[in-house]
Amino acid sequence: MSETIDEKLKNYRTAPFDARFPNTNQTRNCYQNYLDYHRCNKALAAKDQDQTPCQWYMRVYKSLCPMSWVAKWDDQMEDGSFPGKI
Amino acid sequence: MSVFGTVAKQLKSHPALIPLFIFIGGGVTMSATYLARLALKNPDVSWDRTNNPEPWNKLEHNQQYKLFAINMDYSKLKKDRPDF
Repeated sequence: MSETIDEKLKNYRTAPFDARFPNTNQTRNCYQNYLDYHRCNKALAAKDQDQTPCQWYMRVYKSLCPMSWVAKWDDQMEDGSFPGKI
Repeated sequence: MSVFGTVAKQLKSHPALIPLFIFIGGGVTMSATYLARLALKNPDVSWDRTNNPEPWNKLEHNQQYKLFAINMDYSKLKKDRPDF
């Protein structure tokens, strides 16, 4: 029943329901997906695997997060001052 | 100890107060259990940040924490996120 990640990325419409964040406040959902995207990149790069599955997390956080937050965090990642644990 | 003695004596002379104690006691118990559930089971709460840094990640993809989830059939959820 599970689609491949390429099919999932092609059929993507919006962020699906996440049981970890069932309430109205989705702030943590946004932040967690941003973290997961970068952690996924780092983990798959260390294992020398293809980083396409990580695109799922990027699509989700782009659906959820305000653009200003994403821009701020991307700047912090470039500077090396991002406070989260990647 | 003396408080319970006084209360027991008062209840014997005014037995109509017993339902009051039952209902207030019930209310206190319910509030206390809900606070305890929040403190111990809530996936947003982490008492030990070194050993349990992101407790919400320990939820299964179809595990329900809310007491009443209307219009949300948790049993039908599939796992979405890729593993890494």
